[in-house]
Amino acid sequence: MAKNQRALRSAIALAGVSAFALTACTGPSGGGGTSTGGAGGGTITYGTTDKVVTLDPAGSYDAGSFMVMNQVYPFLMNSKPGSSDAVPDIAESASFTTPTEYTVKLKPGLKFANGHALTSSDVKFSIDRVVKIADPNGPAALLSNLKSVAAKDDSTVVFTLKAGNDQVFPGVLAANSGPIVDEEVFPADKVLGDDEIVKGKPFAGPYTIESYKKNELVSLKANPDYQGLLGKPANDGANIKYYADSNNLKLDVQQGNIDVAGRSLTATDAADLEKDSKVKVHKGPGGELRYIVFNFDTMPFGAKTADADPKKALAVRQAMADIVDRDAIATQVYKGTYLPAYSVVPDGFNGAIQPLKEMYGDGNGKPSLDKAKKAFADAGITGTVNIKLQYNPDHYGKSSGDEYAMIKEQLEKSGLFKVDLQSTEWVTYSKARTADAYPVYQLGWFPDYSDADNYLTPFFVPGNFLKNHYENSAVTELVTKQLTTVDKGEREKVLGEAQTAVAKDLSTLPLLQGAQLMVAGADVKGVEQTLDASFKTRLGVISK
Amino acid sequence: MTTLIEAPPSDADGLLPTKKKKSGGGLGQYLLIRFLLIFPTIFILVTMVFFLMRITGDPITAALGGRLPPDQLQERIHAAGYDRPLPVQYFEYLGQLVTGNFGTTLSDNRKVIEMLATYGSATLELTINALIVALLVGIPFGMIAAHRRDHLPDAVLRVFAILCYATPVFFAGMLLKLTFAVWLGWLPVAGRARTSSELALTGLQAPTGIYWLDALRSGNMAALGDVMAHAVLPALALGLLTAGIFLRLVRTNVIGTLGRDYIEAGRSRGVSEFRLVTKHAYKPALIPIITVMGLQIAVMLGGAVLTETTFEWKGLGFQLANYLTARDFVAVQGIVVLLAVIVAVTNFIVDIVAALIDPRVRY
Repeated sequence: MAKNQRALRSAIALAGVSAFALTACTGPSGGGGTSTGGAGGGTITYGTTDKVVTLDPAGSYDAGSFMVMNQVYPFLMNSKPGSSDAVPDIAESASFTTPTEYTVKLKPGLKFANGHALTSSDVKFSIDRVVKIADPNGPAALLSNLKSVAAKDDSTVVFTLKAGNDQVFPGVLAANSGPIVDEEVFPADKVLGDDEIVKGKPFAGPYTIESYKKNELVSLKANPDYQGLLGKPANDGANIKYYADSNNLKLDVQQGNIDVAGRSLTATDAADLEKDSKVKVHKGPGGELRYIVFNFDTMPFGAKTADADPKKALAVRQAMADIVDRDAIATQVYKGTYLPAYSVVPDGFNGAIQPLKEMYGDGNGKPSLDKAKKAFADAGITGTVNIKLQYNPDHYGKSSGDEYAMIKEQLEKSGLFKVDLQSTEWVTYSKARTADAYPVYQLGWFPDYSDADNYLTPFFVPGNFLKNHYENSAVTELVTKQLTTVDKGEREKVLGEAQTAVAKDLSTLPLLQGAQLMVAGADVKGVEQTLDASFKTRLGVISK
Repeated sequence: MTTLIEAPPSDADGLLPTKKKKSGGGLGQYLLIRFLLIFPTIFILVTMVFFLMRITGDPITAALGGRLPPDQLQERIHAAGYDRPLPVQYFEYLGQLVTGNFGTTLSDNRKVIEMLATYGSATLELTINALIVALLVGIPFGMIAAHRRDHLPDAVLRVFAILCYATPVFFAGMLLKLTFAVWLGWLPVAGRARTSSELALTGLQAPTGIYWLDALRSGNMAALGDVMAHAVLPALALGLLTAGIFLRLVRTNVIGTLGRDYIEAGRSRGVSEFRLVTKHAYKPALIPIITVMGLQIAVMLGGAVLTETTFEWKGLGFQLANYLTARDFVAVQGIVVLLAVIVAVTNFIVDIVAALIDPRVRY
């Protein structure tokens, strides 16, 4: 017994000493220990607070899911780092063979990581299933101009379009609706679970997924069989690490535990990190738009409410547009890292104008209470209007809480509104919003391709991504017209008209536009290459 | 808060008279009864969790009520079978549990059983680490406090104990994180391991999910060191809570034992005070620790929710917080049932250990 006790004591003492010794030998510094030092430039680790909804391209249309898809799935069309023009990726050639036929020829010898051949049949399957499944969170709306897809032979695909000369169709093939998947792995009529996808290895992009822990850690390995535009990654592999708290993301990049921190650091974090010599803050062109969505059925006086009245509903939207002070939000909440947005198309895109600046508030971008009161009076609204306003605290950055608290304050201060502010976690939020759960709610948008159309077609034509029951045939006509207008000057004119028409209806209320932001260790190279106007995060260009 | 439970003192110095063994049902019978008691305990817990979760209605309404139009809501409720009579749902739920089917989460479409297996090991690891901290801090400090009773070290340690169990675990966690991870930079900020270690350990054949165990099994000392560095702050945050209770318990018991006749006899025979504490008074102090440990496991699991959230320790507590935010009551129900089972089984194990150490417990 005594012998046993001595042995136990010795074991405990040894374990204790070992623990402290081992702990003392390690620490948070030291480059994160993520580099394997391989011949191809080691492994890099990218941190994010985004979440993956699903790895199935038919079931998601969000930045977190698309970021992973961009690394592992091949696209017919893509853009070179530093550019936003859609050019052939795994395609050998792609062009309009008639105004309504877009013909793509695949490169020879393409295959998935599981050994299956990648043929035109897979391409047809991939595009068809996005349309067929039409998941409420999927990108089917992007393919609204697609009539049919045909696999002419093993390497030739013909896309037949409803409207001819679709100027953005190449961009659509490079976007959320464009990942090509293996028809032997994915079902044609339903979204496949992430674990089944990883197990099936239907990857033919720059990387393959080696290990996958949903919204924890994804490990990617360079795919030697990738023959596309992006070429061989500058690293041996990449890890994507998921954070719940952007503060931990910030601290981990500061301490070198991850190499790059992407979406979504707060503006305060970015300002703080700019003073730290161990990291570098990279900024890219901003296509991000932050806006409020109105559900035309369930918003105050909406079509399916007890006191439905379209005139009053419009007055509510107009009064909100008159009252909201974008400058105050941009400077006080976001420390100038966002700018006020006065159109549904951010400033800087070809054809972008600022119709809301003149139409609402004081006519110069500032709020106007008088104008809001007049909107209410003209529509016959008396007393305060109750607004159930939803925002999301974990998808558009932590400052969303401050942003929407300020909006609530601005609206209530007017005396015209009483705001019931609520928040919901993203996985639920993204599903609930398409099921008419939120009358008035926050959304943000990172473009899929660099064109003003990407801020119009997905939002304002029937069956759009917002599912907010907004429909205006004149707007639909303008949106469709710009899409098929070949002359550049004429197209910009139509784009302006479309923005003005949408601004009158206020299906959405644009608030802010922002810049792309990444923070990387001082020894990390290539980050600026992926911060281009394509708005795609390409881990393959990053190395150290 | 805790009761003083005494156990037979150690007799290494021959201080005790020869004991006469009491008669009783025997260890086997005792353990059998305790074992059989687990099932009604779990059954009651599962029943309580099921019905408590239904107080606010069915899980679909709890998650999406007021947000979906009534027809869509009803459609989803019907599809999930939540519109059937409650007793039918209850017995069906019990049937599913018996076959290990905890359902599918509402918010991210995961099989609950897989989710529990994935994250349960992380929470188990945190609890073990915290328990080690509690024992390593609570027992020696308690003995020192008893040995130096009413002197400065005793006063300091008593204040320390009060601070330990009076400080909210999330506050202690934030304080530790700010001090040792952010300001001093000695320890990692968050997570269970660096990416490289995590990949090495999850890539093993049949990993247990308890990182330090996997690192030991694979002989990966670099990963072991890394994992332990990550474990220090969460283990301290959670472990100190219990350490304070252990410290007070050991101190009280050792002081109580030191006043007993056989200790006095030892003193009169010239046995040193240090030896009396370390050789004769420590065992009676350990028995209540073992008993209280069972109760503390439940406290720790509660504390794990806050600790895991603070340190992004992706275990059941972290997930529980996420699923609660998403109002995913199917997932929450699964996690709570598992935690209840853990508490029941832990208490059974504690009963066994206590019965083995102290025969009087069985009677």
